[in-house]
Amino acid sequence: MEKKDLILHLIGEMSNFILNKNPKRMVISLHQEEDGFHLAIIDNNKHTDEEVAAIERALNSEKRPELAGYYGAMTGHDLLGNARLDLLGWQIKHADVKKSDGGIKIDLWLGSDQFEAHKFNIPKKEE
Amino acid sequence: MINSQHKILLRLLLLICTIFIVSAFIVDGFFPTFNGFIKIQLSPARLLSDFIAIQGIGSAFFNAAIVALIGIGVILISGVKFSGVTFAAVLTILGFGLFGKTPVNILPIFFGVFLAAKIAKREFKEYLVIALFGTALGPLVSFIAFELGGTQLPMLPALFLGAGAGVISGFILPGVAMSMLHLHQGYNLYNIGLTCGFIGLFAASFFKTGAYTFTSLPFWYNEAHPLLVYILPSISILLMLIGIFLDKNKILKNWIAIQKQPGRLPSDFFDLASLGSGLFNAGLIGIIGCLMVFFTGSNFNGPVLGGILTIIGFGAFGTHPRNSLPVMAGVIICAILFHLPLNSPGVILAILFCTTLGPLAGQFGIMMGLLAGFIHMVMVSQTGSWHGAINLYNNGFAGGLTAALLVAIIQWFKNNTTINPNAMLKKSVNMFFSKKDK
Repeated sequence: MEKKDLILHLIGEMSNFILNKNPKRMVISLHQEEDGFHLAIIDNNKHTDEEVAAIERALNSEKRPELAGYYGAMTGHDLLGNARLDLLGWQIKHADVKKSDGGIKIDLWLGSDQFEAHKFNIPKKEE
Repeated sequence: MINSQHKILLRLLLLICTIFIVSAFIVDGFFPTFNGFIKIQLSPARLLSDFIAIQGIGSAFFNAAIVALIGIGVILISGVKFSGVTFAAVLTILGFGLFGKTPVNILPIFFGVFLAAKIAKREFKEYLVIALFGTALGPLVSFIAFELGGTQLPMLPALFLGAGAGVISGFILPGVAMSMLHLHQGYNLYNIGLTCGFIGLFAASFFKTGAYTFTSLPFWYNEAHPLLVYILPSISILLMLIGIFLDKNKILKNWIAIQKQPGRLPSDFFDLASLGSGLFNAGLIGIIGCLMVFFTGSNFNGPVLGGILTIIGFGAFGTHPRNSLPVMAGVIICAILFHLPLNSPGVILAILFCTTLGPLAGQFGIMMGLLAGFIHMVMVSQTGSWHGAINLYNNGFAGGLTAALLVAIIQWFKNNTTINPNAMLKKSVNMFFSKKDK
């Protein structure tokens, strides 16, 4: 899949997820580098701690190339029914989910093994 | 976690294959089983080729186990860990090894998908699921090699043509399969059935244009052998017990979590709930399948066992009682209204395989499930002849067409009205019955 298509599909699925709750505000920001990109999605809906944990769990699910390579084609495309964040989780490198300004901020990072993560300030896991 | 799941599922699937091989040798003995197995490789294998009717229980069971072991080998070589989808794929291959898949006819398809992955510069594991389920087109290979070969074509060219057709269809499977997903948006669990039916339409048209007439193959085993009756209820109970052992007192809570899932592709119940509850659900679906066969008075033969094995597999990947029973009821209502015997081959297979449409009931409600099952029964009685019976997942094809139709209508309602289609169906049924009462 071309990078442009991938970005479009990811934005589609994330927007579907956020818009299901009819927020007053949704902001999507993209930052591209040569070997990867960072996508930030912000809304102003209230989310419980359990919800935030579930979103983070779905987005950071185990990488499943056998599912991503085939069913990943549905990401951001087939939007009838519930949004499926696990479809994204199988394809992205890392995700962070934080509550912010009465809403939520979701950071998604994608890239190959050469991806220079430090350019995007991926938070280091605490030892 | 993933590693222990991988080990448990691998051992479980190897155990099931071993049960099939040992049963084969006990029932028919080593040499007759092996001789029958060789003859099965030369069968045209189109629907309905019940290998039990063609070469006996031993040879059919041995063939099924070998085909499933090849599938397991391909999964291991590709480096993918066992999960819900691979569990479903191996049991589906095992099931269809009783009526259509052979080592000879599946290998060219694997090779075709491998070539597609190479050309797309992807790892084979990304197309693994397509390759495993894509073996539904095995009869295309066998049909050209062993039905046309020796009659319409000289044997040697027919063998090469058959293998070539398998490689070509395997090569185009990934592209077509992904497009087909968008047609029904994941509401038909057997998407490769729709894909292979679509490819089969084109393939069969070539032969029909060449004045070849496809005649249906009538191989359907009609005797009640105790092994055939008891093997799958036993395996289902075993799966349920393993599930209870793994999840202990959390089994009910986790199983209820599965029932809340719509089951839309891709829904790996081992990930969404737990390994134990996924296996329990698979076993329970197997028991429901066996009860359906028992109550309709059907025979436990190759295709029926294949159907039950398939729904057991998908019990870990989209199928559960809450989303399946309404669709099964829809098929039964349709068969009764059209005076189709419930124990006839087409109807009992539709009752089992219609669970491909479970996600529609899971997402949009019971009425949508009933309607989907009804339409599915109507469609599946016609679609087999369209592709010359070379697509083994004929129910997946009919289910895909049904899902595509219903999803398009539901999407239109959603985008253009405030009407809930399920509520509207309920209201219409209530009005129909209240008018009848008056």
